[in-house]
Amino acid sequence: MKNRLRILRAERNWSQADLAERLEVSRQSVNAIETGKYDPSLPLAFKLARLFNSPIETIFTDEE
Amino acid sequence: MICIPTTKARRRYTRRLAPTMAIYLVFLFIAQWTFHHHPPTGFVVYLLAVLPALPLIGSLAIVGLYITEESDEFERSVLVQSMLWGFGGALAVSTIWGFLEDFAKASHLPTFYVYVFFWILMAISQPFIRMRYR
Repeated sequence: MKNRLRILRAERNWSQADLAERLEVSRQSVNAIETGKYDPSLPLAFKLARLFNSPIETIFTDEE
Repeated sequence: MICIPTTKARRRYTRRLAPTMAIYLVFLFIAQWTFHHHPPTGFVVYLLAVLPALPLIGSLAIVGLYITEESDEFERSVLVQSMLWGFGGALAVSTIWGFLEDFAKASHLPTFYVYVFFWILMAISQPFIRMRYR
């Protein structure tokens, strides 16, 4: 699943570690989600949406 | 380099596993020493023989606890995948060895080695699983 996490993170000048800390997950988790290799669960996707103050569908797209 | 992150649940897991392994060594020593110096009889034979296995079973329960306590779903997923490699690999190795014993006169391997294979294969698989997500 593709996502705009890298862009959203860059807009806020956050490193992967910063985002990981805010999400209370490991940096590897953030990297795996950001590269589209790991699809987060709905609760984690909602957490991301709340953090970036954006709807889930503007962060994630279901195209491969 | 593949780095395994430290989460709160992982620290708890290590804190539980280390004393459990220490208890295993103590129980193993007690069983070996007693069987060598004062061979027991009757029901005590079974009790003492099973004694070292108890902390090892406990270690599996500790892994189960870690899975339920780990709040990082990606880390949980990596561990569950590595456990599947451990279980599958241990079953595969012991099945192959069983046939080697039957047909190729391979030396007998005690059944508890399945536990050892499980941990070895689980540990080996983790870096490869993590590499897939980089």
